[in-house]
Amino acid sequence: MGRKRSFDDDEVLARACKVFLEHGYEGTSIDALVKATGLLRGSLYGAFGSKRGMFVAALRDATDSDSRDSRVLNLVLVALMELSDHDIEVRVLVRDYLAKLSCSGSGDANAVTVDVAKLLGATLLQRAHIRLQSDDERR
Amino acid sequence: MNNKVAIVGQTLEIEPQGLDKMWSFKGKLVVPLEHVLGASEDPGILDDTKGLRAPGLHVPGKWAGTYIEHGEKTFWNVTRPESPIVIQLKDEHYDRLVLGVEQPRELVNRINAAITKQ
Repeated sequence: MGRKRSFDDDEVLARACKVFLEHGYEGTSIDALVKATGLLRGSLYGAFGSKRGMFVAALRDATDSDSRDSRVLNLVLVALMELSDHDIEVRVLVRDYLAKLSCSGSGDANAVTVDVAKLLGATLLQRAHIRLQSDDERR
Repeated sequence: MNNKVAIVGQTLEIEPQGLDKMWSFKGKLVVPLEHVLGASEDPGILDDTKGLRAPGLHVPGKWAGTYIEHGEKTFWNVTRPESPIVIQLKDEHYDRLVLGVEQPRELVNRINAAITKQ
């Protein structure tokens, strides 16, 4: 965004991502982001515009691939819970990522399969430290 | 201080409230939405360094006027215990606005939604 940057974007976004995973979106303060990234408040605002700008940059970076890494899935959960109902850009990023995970064969490129919905459900339970029992275990 | 902030067409209009014309800004700021990079709620900014006042006023718990730090100009108009919103700008006289407003979270969401639609 214009100004020349003197920091490593990937490193800054990785640190910001960690803060968002720990505190959620609303629970993350600019103070926490300033502290975690080591950036001056002014540099953070200059580079990302806002807390939302920083979250979107981290989400965009994380959902760039079709990785099923738990860090990525958990950031997607934060986006789903706190932003995607009212933030169209976030909704599109999340939907495209989930559709990408679903898109192993043919079908609607914008739709999410049951398999991916289950993966999100399992991630949510894991985040809550609730044990998921497999069907085999139940028998 | 409850500055008045409104989205009017493709612009953001800010009417600072309660400013003495001697030491601060007068009238209203009108910024095209395409010059708005984002808005955040940021109570912690009150405890961060603010730079030099030029011109402006600081009495304990109240900041009003222009502050310059690292070559950046920030317009402040906030009184504790308000939770200020920070609006980051580009290609404007001010790089950043720090404003006390009513319902900060709702306003932040509205501003960010308006600039995303651009």
